Amino acid sequence: MSYRIPIHLRRIAAIGILFCVALFFGVRANAEQANASAARGSFRTVSDETGRTVRIPVPVRRIISLAPSVTESIYALGLENLLVGDTDYCDYPEAATKVHKVGGATNPSLEEIAQLRPDVVLVIKSLNRLETVQQLERLGIATYSTDPHSLDEIRTSLRRLADVLGNPAAGEALDAGLLQKERLLQQKLQAARPTRVLFVVWTEPLISVGKHTFIADALAHAGAVSVVESSQDWPQISLEEMVRLQPDFLVFANSHSENVTRDVEALAKRPGWDLLDTVKRRKFAVVSDAVNRPAPRLFAAVEDLARQLHPEVFGESSPLRNANSASRDNN
Amino acid sequence: MTSAVKSSASRATAEVTRNTNEPRLSVEQVSYAYAPNPQQAPVFTLEATSFQAKAGEVVAVLGPNASGKSTLLQIISGALPPLSGRVLLNGNVTHQLEPRTRGQRIAMVQQESQLLFPSKAWEFVLQGRHPYGKSLRFESDEDVTIAQNALAQVGAEHLADRWMDQISGGEKQRVILARALAQQPLLLLLDEPTLHLDIGAQVDLLETLRRLAAENRYTVVVVTHELNLAGEYAEQVVLLQKGKALRVGPPASVYQRDLLEQVFQTQLTVETGASGRPRVSILPGPQ
Amino acid sequence: MRPLTVSRLLIQCLILAIILFCVMVLALKFGAIHVSLYGLGRNLLRVFLGKTSDIATEYSLILNLRLPRILLGAFVGAALSIAGTSFQALLRNPLADPYVLGVSSGAALGAIFALLVEPHLALPPEIAAVFTPLGAFLGAAIAITSVYFLGRRDGRIDSSTLLLGGVIVASLLYAVIILLLTTLPSSNFRGMAYWLMGDLSGVPSRPLAWVLRIGFAVAAVVIYTTASDLNLLLSGEKEAMHLGVDVRRVRIVVYLAASALTGLAVAVSGSIGYVGLLVPHVMRMIYGSDHRILLPAAAFGGAIAVVFADILARTIAAPSELPVGAITAIAGAPLFIYLLRRRFA
Repeated sequence: MSYRIPIHLRRIAAIGILFCVALFFGVRANAEQANASAARGSFRTVSDETGRTVRIPVPVRRIISLAPSVTESIYALGLENLLVGDTDYCDYPEAATKVHKVGGATNPSLEEIAQLRPDVVLVIKSLNRLETVQQLERLGIATYSTDPHSLDEIRTSLRRLADVLGNPAAGEALDAGLLQKERLLQQKLQAARPTRVLFVVWTEPLISVGKHTFIADALAHAGAVSVVESSQDWPQISLEEMVRLQPDFLVFANSHSENVTRDVEALAKRPGWDLLDTVKRRKFAVVSDAVNRPAPRLFAAVEDLARQLHPEVFGESSPLRNANSASRDNN
Repeated sequence: MTSAVKSSASRATAEVTRNTNEPRLSVEQVSYAYAPNPQQAPVFTLEATSFQAKAGEVVAVLGPNASGKSTLLQIISGALPPLSGRVLLNGNVTHQLEPRTRGQRIAMVQQESQLLFPSKAWEFVLQGRHPYGKSLRFESDEDVTIAQNALAQVGAEHLADRWMDQISGGEKQRVILARALAQQPLLLLLDEPTLHLDIGAQVDLLETLRRLAAENRYTVVVVTHELNLAGEYAEQVVLLQKGKALRVGPPASVYQRDLLEQVFQTQLTVETGASGRPRVSILPGPQ
Repeated sequence: MRPLTVSRLLIQCLILAIILFCVMVLALKFGAIHVSLYGLGRNLLRVFLGKTSDIATEYSLILNLRLPRILLGAFVGAALSIAGTSFQALLRNPLADPYVLGVSSGAALGAIFALLVEPHLALPPEIAAVFTPLGAFLGAAIAITSVYFLGRRDGRIDSSTLLLGGVIVASLLYAVIILLLTTLPSSNFRGMAYWLMGDLSGVPSRPLAWVLRIGFAVAAVVIYTTASDLNLLLSGEKEAMHLGVDVRRVRIVVYLAASALTGLAVAVSGSIGYVGLLVPHVMRMIYGSDHRILLPAAAFGGAIAVVFADILARTIAAPSELPVGAITAIAGAPLFIYLLRRRFA
């Protein structure tokens, strides 16, 4: 029988087995986080916009934003001194690009976030992952989520965010300013008939926005109405459906209007698209891609779109064929 | 004989001496049928067949293609339960044996071994020791000795370290046989072992089988369609045609010209060869 | 003629364990936070001794973030490799892979349903944490069972039919998944894209971790006890049967245990591909096809592969984290081609 195992081998085997057992049970580290409750004194409990209850330390000194729209909002609120980290895609305003990067919005580095010892991490339900929130919770890091679906909700969101970050006055000021501009715009647009538009997210396949998105609401506030009646956020529309709907205007979101002009020229030659009145007559509007982010810049983009769709209301001349370069500088 | 082989031989002998007058293998009225689908009547691949064999005896199962030879062999091995009848090995019904026990008593040599991943010949032969010992086992020195002896008995010790996919057909056949021997069985079953061998290798194999049967007291059942080899080396022949056993007995009694012509549908002559065994020759020309 | 002995087995396992240990140390070292090996050792010792409050901040982060992730990666790699080795032996097909039998698609679908259903149930937090992995595991179990019944012929499992059934189930379920992902509101399922590519960042909660450990131990041990039988199965089912293997029992036991391992792995980490397919092949090239050593070797090999792939996933595009499945696929495909050419060279 060759079951005899030499003595030195037994010892080494014992160590190896010990290692495997340690592996098996997992090295348990129950160490507390440095920024957890032990060191800090007070907390407040708030409810975020997804209904979760969050314990936020008081005062808030260090925050991380995991969404470009949230970053913009923080700068708009004037609270950028709290920002210690943001995502690779946070590019507005210019200063945001210099903030310490923690990765993408959907796949940030947990280690980077943890290393920055934030008091609160800000996320938005339409962009960030639930898994990220759960992982941060497990690390004991407070995560506050916004979830605006309309212009009104964006304003409320800004106000609540400012309150959570300990500066409610900033939120109220911003909200009031945006609300006033909003009211002025709506007054002007009262008499105008809403233009039927198709907001083009992507051309191949054709993707537009659903009726519950803030973009659809933005369109409504710009004197337009999205012809797409879908509950999905990013519905895919068939060309047939588009021809049946026959929107009056196409709306593109792009910082560079020359690109859009070129794209529309190309579209005009494509089957299906060439059946659209708007394409044949080159009736399209371009807004800055600020319209994609539920942040204060959206309001200015809305006004810009309104100008393009209803120039008569603003005392401007006949409908412009395409976007003016002014749209690029909208902020 | 080495000690390991002796232990196998002595085990076989001990069993025999217990009941010298009773046959070791008793095939009693076994039949088999299968139904391709429930609506059709079942097709009988084997109708009631019986024969008996003693220790040290070589039995040949002969017949044309699709005569039920392989089915009979599968039933004898216990892998296939018969539709009716039973097969007794030293009084135990083969298909009711535990797989492990069956592996210790019955060894089957199939034609080709389809190896998925290459292995060495000695590894292959060692597999024959699997029925002995616990489920997860590491081979003991005794196992290794038995495997080596098995290879020696078939004259293949020089192949021990070669890869199975790099040896010739005849050599492979020998290694497969060695594996069966390593099982130290009472009953050795072979399914058309001479198919891919040249005449020299065929004679070699049958000689080996006869010698092993005599030395180690195996009962050997060989399925073949080589009439003359069977006639030369078997003590008993079972002649099958379309599932029916037409005759069972020593070659001289089974190799009757009209019977063989009926079974193989061709003109033949039967003579007695130099060894006293019948020899069958074909008569060429239009039938 | 040198058959496998217990001491040779232990030595090989030891060598592999040492390699795994080194890779794990490497994995602990690399990442956003910089650590030194000395600091690591010191703090690990503190953990062992229970002096958790003395641990330096960075190291507590490492131990709470990186170490569980590394351990999870090792577990997933080992589980998938053991399952892959078993399926390859069982189905007598070198292309067999845990995903071939539709297990991962079933798990993905189960996870999606769990994500769909969860907001409508008021679950206590402990259950909520394991709800999605539970859904994934149930989905895997259902897929396994359907494929099993699809793969039966004359009441026995038939390898080629099983494989075919698996491929069909996998593609059907995948189509359903895509359908759901494109028609339902997207917010719940953003995570699914990462899940479908394999993601080790979801560290399981305590009760789930225990389920994983115990499930892994039981299934791995069960499969290992059939190691000799699997060796014989490679020669052919009929031959194995004649050599004393209870083929039916071994088939069912190994099928269930390997499926359980796959279901567990996929439930917590999504679809990490190529590991279950390639690690057995590489280990077979080194250690031969004797499953008594191949199974443990594959387990270690898989753990090493996934932990190493995770190092790359965490560092290549830092600070973003790539899904581990992407790394294993990018590395795995060329390796697979290389192996294929070697075999047929």
